[in-house]
Parts: sequence; C-alpha cells; structure tokens
Amino acid sequence: MSDWLPSPTTIAALAKIGLLIGGLMTAAAYLVLVERWMAAWVQDRKGPNRVGIPLTKIRLFGLGQPLADGLKIILKEDFTPKHVDKVLYAAAPLVLLAASLAIFAAIPFGSVLPPLGIAGLPDPVPFLVAPALDVGVLWVFALSSIAVYGVLLGGWASNNKYGFLGGLRSSAQLVAYEIPLGLGLLGVVLAAGSLKLDAIINAQAETGIWYAFAQPLGFIVFLVAAFAEAARLPFDLPEAEQELVGGYHTEYSGIKLLLFLVSEFLHMVTAAFLIVIMFLGGWHLWGVTGSGQEVTWLGAFLRFAVLSAKILGVILFFMLVRWSWPRFRFDQLMNLAWKVMLPLGLANLVTVATVEEFRPQLVEALGAGAAGWVALLIPWGVFFAGWIAAGLLTPSGTDNTPIRTHGPLDVEHELVEV
Amino acid sequence: MTPDGGLSSTGSLLAVAVGCAAASLWLLLPRGESGLRERAARRFGMLLGAVALALFVATGRRLGGVGEEAVFLIVALVAVIGGAATVVTRSPVYSAIWFALALAGVAGVLLVLGAQFLGVATIVVYAGAILVMFLFVLMLAQPTGMASYDRVSNEPLLSAVAGAVLLGLLTLFIGRLSAGPGECCAVPSKAAALAGSGQPQAPVAPEPPADSAGVDPLAANHVARLGGELFGRHLLAVEAAGVLLLVALIGSIAIVSRTPPDERADAAAWRANA
Repeated sequence: MSDWLPSPTTIAALAKIGLLIGGLMTAAAYLVLVERWMAAWVQDRKGPNRVGIPLTKIRLFGLGQPLADGLKIILKEDFTPKHVDKVLYAAAPLVLLAASLAIFAAIPFGSVLPPLGIAGLPDPVPFLVAPALDVGVLWVFALSSIAVYGVLLGGWASNNKYGFLGGLRSSAQLVAYEIPLGLGLLGVVLAAGSLKLDAIINAQAETGIWYAFAQPLGFIVFLVAAFAEAARLPFDLPEAEQELVGGYHTEYSGIKLLLFLVSEFLHMVTAAFLIVIMFLGGWHLWGVTGSGQEVTWLGAFLRFAVLSAKILGVILFFMLVRWSWPRFRFDQLMNLAWKVMLPLGLANLVTVATVEEFRPQLVEALGAGAAGWVALLIPWGVFFAGWIAAGLLTPSGTDNTPIRTHGPLDVEHELVEV
Repeated sequence: MTPDGGLSSTGSLLAVAVGCAAASLWLLLPRGESGLRERAARRFGMLLGAVALALFVATGRRLGGVGEEAVFLIVALVAVIGGAATVVTRSPVYSAIWFALALAGVAGVLLVLGAQFLGVATIVVYAGAILVMFLFVLMLAQPTGMASYDRVSNEPLLSAVAGAVLLGLLTLFIGRLSAGPGECCAVPSKAAALAGSGQPQAPVAPEPPADSAGVDPLAANHVARLGGELFGRHLLAVEAAGVLLLVALIGSIAIVSRTPPDERADAAAWRANA
C-alpha cells in the first residue's frame, strides 16, 4: 500500500506550490495597493488610506483596501455579452492565469533550507517547485509564449473591434520582444553554463560579480524587453485606454476581468524575479548571505529576505517608470525592438561569447586578478560603444512627414474633374 | 494460433481498437450535413472513440508507479483527443486551438519520459511561434462564416481508414521493438493482417538489452548530452539548417519589401516638389 501514499518529495512539492501560489496572490493584491500609493505620491495626492478593519474606525494606512477591492470585483455581475464566442471567452483568462502561475515552477524563490533529515527527502531542500527541471530558462520562455494565447483568444472571442485590435497588438508586441529577451538571457546562460535558474544564482554568488556588472548591455536589453513582455508602461499599447478602451479585456467584467488583471500583475512579478535572478545576483549580497550551499536557518531566512527585498525594489522601479513615462507609438515600439534592441542584444551575445572563450588564455597571460578586470572592462566598452552608436544612428527616430503619391493639388484637381 | 494466449488476446483487442478508431473518425469527420442525423452520428462517433481509447489503454504496457501512470494517461489522452479534434472540428480557429492542446499533450508526454529539452522546445517552437502565426492569419482571414472547404471533408472514408492503418502498424511495430527480444516473435499477426500487411516482416534485429530499470528520467545531464551531440557529431547539419532558415528569412523580406517602381518615383517626385 505504500505505493499509494504520496512520497515526501511529492508532499514537499505540494507544500511549495501552496506557499508560492498563496504568496503570489497575496503579493499581487497588495502590490496593487502599493502601485496606487506610488501613483498618488508621484501625482502629489494622498492615495487610498482609509479602508482598515471593517466596522471599526481603525484605518491602518488603507491596508484593508485590497480586500475590499477583491470582494467588490468578485461580487460584481459576471456578465457575458451575447455576441462573444462563449467557450473561448471563458477559457482565455484561465489560460493566461494558468500560464502565468505555472512559470513559477522553475523560478527559485529563495536558496535552500538547512538539512531537515527526513527520510526520502533529498537534502538540502531547495526553494524551487521543480528542482529536477534542467531547462528552467526554456520553461519560463515556453510558458510566457503560452500566455500569448490567453491575450489573443480573449481579444478574438470578445468579437469586438477594440478587443481584437488590442489582442493583435499585444501578441505582435510579445512575439517581437521575445527575441531581445532571449538574447539577453542567452548571454547569462553562456556565462553561467546552465539553464537552471538556481545554478545561475550560484554562479553569481561564487564570483561575487552580478551579471548586471559583467554584462551591462545584456542587462539593459533584458530590462527593456521584460518591460515590454509585461506590457507595462511605456509598453502598454495592448490596453491603451485612450485608443482601445481597454484592449483585449474590453468586453470582460467581474471575476474574469480580475483574472486578466491578476495575470498582468503576475507578469510584472515574473519579470522582476527574472531580472533579479539573472542579473542582480538573486539571493546573494556581499558580506551578508555567503555563497555556499551549506546554510543555517538564519542564513536561509537572510537569503529569502534579500531576494524578496531585491524583487520589491525592482517592482517599485517598474511602478515609478509607469507614472513617469509616456506611452510609445506602435511604430516606435517595433523600431525599438527590431532596430535597437536586436542589434544590441547580438552585440552583447558576441561580446560575452568572446570573453568566455578567451578567459583561460587571459588568465594565463595576465594572472587571475587582471584577467578578471579585463573581462569586466571589455563588456563595459561595448556597452558605451553600443549606446553611442544607438544615439548617433537613431534608428528608432521616425519621419513623420506624410507619404503621399499625390500632392494635395492633384487630389483637388481630380475632385473637380469628377 | 499462437501458443501464448495472453498475447493473442492483446492483439485482437488492438485490432478492435484500431477498427473502432477508424469508424469513430469516419463518423466524426464533417460531411456538410446538418440536423438530427449529423448529431446522432457525431454522438455515436464520440462513443466509439471513447471505446477505442479505452481499448488502447487496456492493451498498453504499464509504466510502473501509480502517479507516473496517471500523469502519463492524462497527457497522452490530451494529446490524442486534441489531435483527433484538430481534424474533426469545423472552425479553423478551434482547430488551431485543439492543435495547440495536442502539442501541449505531446510536450507533457516528452516531459514524463524525461526528454525535458524536447518537451519544452516543442512548446516554444510549435505552440509559441508557429501556431500563433497560424492563429493570426486565421483570425484576420475569416471574420465571418466558414468556407466550404472547412465545412466538408473531402474523403472521409479513405482518410479514416488510412489513419487507422497507420496507427495500427505503428502501435504494432513500436510495441514489438520495445517488447524486448524474447517476446518480439510471439506478437500475433492478426492486427497486422487487418491493417493490410499480410507479409511477415523481416525479422527485427533484437534490441540490445536496454537497462530500462536504470534509466532515470530526471537525470540532470540530459540537456547537456543532447547539446553535446547536436554541436559535436551533428554540427554540420545544425549549421546548414541555420543557414537555410536565414536564407529563407532574407528571401521573404526581399520579396515583401519590394515596392512597385512607379509608386516610388511618384513619391520622390512629389517630395521634390514639396
């Protein structure tokens, strides 16, 4: 009968999944509050500060707001318009949410626990739902490309022009920015020599040099692409209220709209996780967390805290950018992806490959210390060169003069003739 | 008859399963009729399909652990049902969605079997890139109604039979290959006969005894080994494929971006005047 009982590994995995989903959903709710506070701060208002404990006068800085918002939107009428494709209309938000949650199977949310000594459970226990998944980075990629379906289907099933345009825009944007995103990732994968995200953190912790310092160009490319993939301002064209009402979720209301909004927030959280893990050292902080695989309980907690703090920092940056930048136009968006980010990403990849290839020769010729400095300076040189080249060539600049095959006089002439 | 009664019954079960699958597909394929008869045919077809699936599950070999078996069954059923629905559905957009589901199922099967890279790459390449392109085109191309070629299947009987024959042969021979050297010759020829292949095949070279018990599907070095193989032994093929794709890409850009010469001249002339 022991065959039927779940093994300790399964129980551990289920516990991690529960922790992760609970944590993520709560965090998403409270991040909405943080975002509104941030908006209020930027716009010199007070922001939500009244909802506290119900039936009392205690306000608690408005910490009850997410609960109230959630209740309100759940209790709203779940209205399905007559003209929609019912099955896909209902499936789209589910696909999007499922994909955005499943991404976290491969993303570590801490380091490792100290040995627990439970029989059947491999020690140490990593903070990762699927530690045996050898292709973590690719998994993240695959699931974020599945998320495109949710958006595209939501727009199409709505049977609404605004929704459809929003869905098309969104999928075009996601497909276009997947390439610079991948190029940014590839540099890190090359340097770390692994597709596992926890191995990438370990590689940074061992050398103490975060990849943001070793590959500044890759960091910038990845950061911009991550903003676009999360569809945050200045890349929020899929929704663009002034042009498309609400984009692909124009026709949605109630709980289905909530699912869409939560998934969008989760995309931002995923992007923050990836930025921190790939480029900002994950749970590593010099002189605080150590770098080995053996940890005490305090060390495990410290690493978790450092990772969470970094992620919160990146999310705050996301929000600050949202309230400080205007939105791109669609042609500017595409120009940026294909004419600026793609070449810069390629330049970064070639630089990283070259440095990694000749690192042993460098170490042999100059000694370990000097070789390290040279390997750092070359990417920074390429970074500034790329920046200057992008600035001088301005491939993202657009010619706004109208292109017409007829002059205005010609048209008038024709009209008169008719 | 074969001396081993158990295997013979497996073979006949398989034959029935293939027959059911063919009949079910034939009934389900769209024939442009509508009304009660069509609906009854579809219901009966679904029933037959379920019977065929159950029979296939019954004839298959066991994997081992209960959890593994359950997960494999789920993803395999998703893949098979998705594939059948892709062919049977009338709306092109729904076909594409079912195809995506079938791909997800296939990726799941690959993940269960430990081919992590292949599984994830299937999703990235097919579901993530190619199928999204299809969806784009389908959604833009047919805002209203369906064309006749979507509503009617051209050769329902032939295609169903051909599919079933292929299915039976593949199941039979893959099963024989993986059954091991001892059992390979005892596999009954009944299903093969039904599938239209009366000739006894050339004896399959017995597999080297694979240590199937020692293969860990979660071994960490699978991707590394695959990468080493691709960029070691098959480097030339990989590079050639890459160059081919690049050429195709450049070619398509060259074809698309060619503006008609008179338009270009007009635009230039107007700009010079303005």
